[in-house]
Amino acid sequence: MPSDPALSARGASIGYRDRAVIDGLDLNVPRGAFTALIGPNGSGKSTLLRALARLQSLSSGQILLDGRALATIGPREAARRVGILFQGASAPEGMTVSELVQEGRYPHRSLFGRWNRADEAACARALRLTKLEALADRPLDTLSGGQRQRAFVAMVLAQETGILLLDEPTTYLDLPHQLDILELAGALVREEGTTVVAAIHDINQAARYAAHLIVLKDGAVVTAGPPDAIVTPALIEEVFAVKAMVVPSPVDGRPLILPLTRAEREDS
Amino acid sequence: MMAFVVLAASIAALFGASVAIGDEPIAIAEIARVLLGEGDPVASFIVEEVRLPRAILAVLVGAALGTGGAIAQAVMRNPLAEPGILGINGGAALAALIVIVEIESPPARLLPLAAFAGALITAAAIYALAWNDGTSSLRIILVGLGLNALAGAGVGFISAFGDVTTVQQAQVWLAGSLYRADWETVRVLAVWLVLPVVGVLLAARELDVLTLGADAARALGQRVEPTSAAMILAMALISAAAVAAAGLIGFVGLIAPHLARRIGGRRSRHVLPLAALSGAALVLAADLVGRLALSPANLPAGIVTTLIGAPFFALLLWRRRDAV
Amino acid sequence: MSTLASRRLVLLGLAVALCVSAAWSLTVGTIALPLQTIVAAIIDFDGSREHLIAATVRFPRLLAGLIAGSAFAVAGAIMQAVTNNPLASPGILGINAGAALAIVVALSVVDGGAAGVYVWCAFAGAAAAAIVVYAVGSAGRGGATPLKLALAGAILSAFVGSLTTAILIFDTASLDVVRVWSIGSVEGRSLATIMAIAPYGLVGLAGALLLRGQIATLSLGPEIAAQLGQNLAVWRLAAAAIVVLLAGGAVALTGPIGFVGLFVPHAARLIVGTDYRWIIPASALGGAFVVVFCDALLRAVLPDRDVPVGIAMALIGAPFFIHLARSRTARRPL
Repeated sequence: MPSDPALSARGASIGYRDRAVIDGLDLNVPRGAFTALIGPNGSGKSTLLRALARLQSLSSGQILLDGRALATIGPREAARRVGILFQGASAPEGMTVSELVQEGRYPHRSLFGRWNRADEAACARALRLTKLEALADRPLDTLSGGQRQRAFVAMVLAQETGILLLDEPTTYLDLPHQLDILELAGALVREEGTTVVAAIHDINQAARYAAHLIVLKDGAVVTAGPPDAIVTPALIEEVFAVKAMVVPSPVDGRPLILPLTRAEREDS
Repeated sequence: MMAFVVLAASIAALFGASVAIGDEPIAIAEIARVLLGEGDPVASFIVEEVRLPRAILAVLVGAALGTGGAIAQAVMRNPLAEPGILGINGGAALAALIVIVEIESPPARLLPLAAFAGALITAAAIYALAWNDGTSSLRIILVGLGLNALAGAGVGFISAFGDVTTVQQAQVWLAGSLYRADWETVRVLAVWLVLPVVGVLLAARELDVLTLGADAARALGQRVEPTSAAMILAMALISAAAVAAAGLIGFVGLIAPHLARRIGGRRSRHVLPLAALSGAALVLAADLVGRLALSPANLPAGIVTTLIGAPFFALLLWRRRDAV
Repeated sequence: MSTLASRRLVLLGLAVALCVSAAWSLTVGTIALPLQTIVAAIIDFDGSREHLIAATVRFPRLLAGLIAGSAFAVAGAIMQAVTNNPLASPGILGINAGAALAIVVALSVVDGGAAGVYVWCAFAGAAAAAIVVYAVGSAGRGGATPLKLALAGAILSAFVGSLTTAILIFDTASLDVVRVWSIGSVEGRSLATIMAIAPYGLVGLAGALLLRGQIATLSLGPEIAAQLGQNLAVWRLAAAAIVVLLAGGAVALTGPIGFVGLFVPHAARLIVGTDYRWIIPASALGGAFVVVFCDALLRAVLPDRDVPVGIAMALIGAPFFIHLARSRTARRPL
């Protein structure tokens, strides 16, 4: 674990009414790496990501951004440093891709500041990275699901944050679009040193792309570390209640999980 | 830019027509003489004391309604939102009606204050009753419909109890009429509009971010609650001032922002001024039609805008039939 | 106690409450009449002032309230069943406004016509409004959602209201006649007017009671009803015809009393459950009770001011509508 985490949580608790979703959670997000959050539905992945992005307030504990309490950082400054792609984002009718992307510059602009070259460059880069240049003037409601998801990614990229949180960025996308998004996140980490935290459903994809996994169950961290060190049949059974075989991937040696059928379970 | 020029030109033409046409037609040349202080006394009186304040009031009221509608549609994230449909204008009208009926010869300054109080109470009620889970825009609209009906019942209650002649006068005002226009009303309205309109124009960018939804706006670093509260406050101020001056002129707050978006895209920076101009043109035209259509009788502008606006709204509803 | 017995008991209780408030409403007013006088006016009319008031003021007023209250409430219940829409009612969907406009038009074109003429105008107006609102509100994906129908009804009401105002501006004679009527009032109906209109309302009520089984099936939704073998087109049309008869007739009688058609069926549903076989008779009794009781209460509390009962209904009904909109949107999308 690097000594200087980009984001960390200290005893963070989050509750809706009387039910605690996350209870006294501690975690560190390593700087400049691709971190994947995995865990079953309802384990608190979304809630945790929303809390890391200030969309969700804590009932106790705190979130540290570069070692400073997130609550003491103004919303605009925090938005210049942490961006989030959350689930279920929707844009107003008729809004075009480039209009949406330009809104990403909001935290960088002063109240009466004019649109400047840096804003323009950031939007152009965001459109280029998401391969949306040709669609820039199309209204969002005329795009396919994958294209629309990329447009929201582009908005977050235009925000030019060192930390990027992605809440299930691949859900509802077909395989090529899933890979596009994950490749893009990987490239940002490699080439620009961005810190990425993504909640990912598919454990194999998470193990494939992320250098660091954080495993959540019932609002608590079960374990965290590099995929090949922590993904074991015992962990999969403990967290997902699924019996599986874990083999090294023939491609890159990272762990690959193969759930067992009932017949195979009875055999073993 | 082209569209802006066309819009400005049509306002100028409507304005001219509004001053020139009437029971006593006055030629443009004569109007020019009056404005230079050289007209004959009768024409001077008609132009300066009757038609000019009326035309200016129409412009201001229309601009206010258009701006209020544009703000409502952005904050509520729904192109069918409008201060009238949300009951905000109804609340303002009820409060103003109470002042008109219950206080003998109320001063012109008191009306906007009362209307503002009514608008603010309605806005606060919408906020309190419909805002719990962020912005469910259909809940806001339905609650607004209910509040509007409540305000309507209140109006009926006051009308049934009030002095008959006062109620009759108030009813013409309620129907949305500019016939009582005078310089005092124009001044009061202008003073009320300056601050909120300028403020909203300066903060147009905040409005754009709000339209992305509460979560996205928060993720971008906006302080969502104070921002939307301030926008709603401005909307209530603007709508109330318009209602106090000219009663209920419906549907302008709905149509004007739509025209504005057609012309100028989606950015509030463009939509707000264009909506103000479109609203001004609409109210000028409605007042003119109301004066001419069944001359010598005077049809309140609010009736004209509703007769045009309701089918327009139905068309919108039809075109958005898969979304709403 | 079985549900059947308890439901019967509820209907019986409603009927008793209705009878009591009807008797009370005959006695209250500017001049209080003891019950004996009322009874005497019925069985042994002596032409005295008290007997005249009972016969020409109180009885017609009671009858108008009974018929209109039942008619609005049952029309609302049927509309909620057929459109599967908790916000449906003749007032909210603009049907009352359509009927009212037709009557105002008729008044200003042929003044002094018989009530029997106006009631047909009201039917035509109600039917036209129902068609327009349903056409606009049911287009598109998801069919007639509560939001779309409510919006369509609201704009039709606004449109029609403006037309009505425009007509009245040019016809001050009609304005005087229409002013109180347009808010919904049971005051000042002549017995002749009531006798001309009542048969339509009674036919509508009888039809609703006879068809309550079909309406209950319709309320399960088009898929289930069709799957059960119901002929949707026929029964929907029949239900619509009954709604037009009830709402149009009631508007011709008392003017649009809004919100009775909204909240009475909901109250009925709370008491007797979700079966329209019971909701419809409970609404008929409950609607009559609410209107007659509120009218009597207003007269008892504010004896020197004649407050139209329609206002009281709106003051009760609008908050209820808001409550309904809130609770429905909380649970599931409309």
